[in-house]
Amino acid sequence: MSPRASWAIMRHEFRVLLSDPSTVIFVVLMPLLMVAIMKELFATALRDQGYASANGSEFAVPAMAVAFSAFSVGYAGFTFFRDHGWGTWDRLRATSASSVDIMLGKVVPNVAVTVLQLVLLFALGGPLFGLEVTGSWFAIVLLIVVLALALSAFGMLVTSVTSTMNQLNAVGSVGGMALALLGGAWVPVETMPGWAQAIAPGIPTYWAMEGFSDIILEGGGMASILTPVAVLVGFGVLFTGLAAWRFRFEDTKVYFG
Amino acid sequence: MGAVLHVAGLWKSYEAQEALRGVDLDVARGEVVALLGPNGAGKTTLVSIVAGLRKADSGLVEVDGIDALARSREVRRHIGIAPQETGIYPVVSVRQNLALFGELNGLGRRDVRRRVEEVAEALDITDLLNRQAGKLSGGQKRRVHTAIAFMHRPRLLLLDEATTGADVETRKHILELVQRLAEDGSAVLYSTHYLAEVSSLPATVAILDKGRVIARGKTQELVSAHATTAVDLTFHGEVPDLRHHGASRLGSHQVRLITPDPATALLDVLADLPSGSLSSIDIVRPDLEAVYLALTGRRYDEVDAAGVRKAQGDGADVAAR
Repeated sequence: MSPRASWAIMRHEFRVLLSDPSTVIFVVLMPLLMVAIMKELFATALRDQGYASANGSEFAVPAMAVAFSAFSVGYAGFTFFRDHGWGTWDRLRATSASSVDIMLGKVVPNVAVTVLQLVLLFALGGPLFGLEVTGSWFAIVLLIVVLALALSAFGMLVTSVTSTMNQLNAVGSVGGMALALLGGAWVPVETMPGWAQAIAPGIPTYWAMEGFSDIILEGGGMASILTPVAVLVGFGVLFTGLAAWRFRFEDTKVYFG
Repeated sequence: MGAVLHVAGLWKSYEAQEALRGVDLDVARGEVVALLGPNGAGKTTLVSIVAGLRKADSGLVEVDGIDALARSREVRRHIGIAPQETGIYPVVSVRQNLALFGELNGLGRRDVRRRVEEVAEALDITDLLNRQAGKLSGGQKRRVHTAIAFMHRPRLLLLDEATTGADVETRKHILELVQRLAEDGSAVLYSTHYLAEVSSLPATVAILDKGRVIARGKTQELVSAHATTAVDLTFHGEVPDLRHHGASRLGSHQVRLITPDPATALLDVLADLPSGSLSSIDIVRPDLEAVYLALTGRRYDEVDAAGVRKAQGDGADVAAR
């Protein structure tokens, strides 16, 4: 492994990303818009659960953060399919950069964008929507980082088993939606059917929502999010292991069609 | 001169189809080898395996004495490759494209800056360095694509159909740069299916056919060893039966006589022809096409066209998989 090569690919990926900043702006702005629309809806639900002074942002901000970060599953894979489409994948492989260098160079920027997206959402949650975090901000950032890592690892797993851009789009967008929904990011888990409540703990986003709710509503700190963080790290390791086992660098991926 | 590239007994199959069937090939320091063969002959497969992009079924590939199949990453540092399909990042600048691949092949920051200027000047793309690569013309993109392979002064340069789709100017620049790199001591394997292009290169030739190198040497040596002069006779109507003269049909109105002595052969044939039946006579000097015909019994242009049709019909050339 060569940190220099990984760093060169990372810088390059950021350059590619910033060549069309509209995507980054979109993924940051859209959750804010969704929070504005859904805040009132969640306010009622939270008051019914006993949080009398809740204004809805306590659920809407983390929920939209988790829901939109789930879409990063598709973005993680996109960078690989795009290189196949541009004819640059074999060129990268033909350099002296190792497989690990290429993977790190491509995945880390995706994780960084997801972290930035979530941090901005939480940071703007106070001034824009009256979000009050009663617990630790460090715990929120830690949770954001492990969530982004776990979802990017899941994105790599999805990339490893898909061979066309259409498949990636389908799995990335629908799968991302399902991850968010079943994890309780669109509606509170307590309001979902029994079978959905039963499988929710098997979804990474559920643990992120548990952690965020604990910090925001219950004043939780580092100690109180140990379980969600550990579970998310576990998911990340599992997805990374499966992706590493299944990913074939020499496989052809079809960018269009 | 020791071989920079040494390939021995290389086999590769895609499912039931054998793409390479025991390829043996050496390329010496300072040598340009034109790897010649029709579409589907296995050129891209061979280049891909040498570059570490595909796995071989069996055989030996050494670059500078290092086992390229076992120590692929170590070897890749010494290889520059321009694949058949243009591969550049369209949304960043030409300079950033060149710099990325220079850096990934081990050049330091200062060397990257210097080489970007040198390679750009050699390929006449200096004015394009700060332009977005996706906004260039097809020929300009092809130059950038090829320039990437030259960035780190590789010991072994692999150019796979480098001039496909290139304009005359681009072709000239690429061929000049290939020559210069070889003069500096690098080995170059230049795959092409254009017979005519080989004469523009200061190259020896390796003819690849159906996954095997069937001839290797200088063009003149191959021509002298395998080909003789031919005479093509074209008729107004049906071709008379000239088999007793050793003529073979090329089409419904044309026959070819393979002969080392065209004048004598013509005199013999003309005596047998009905008057007014002959439309034209062409003396065909021996060339690589004649070498290919002599070695395989097949005409190169027909085999190549069939390869292109197959590639278009299948959606992918076997060799490009």
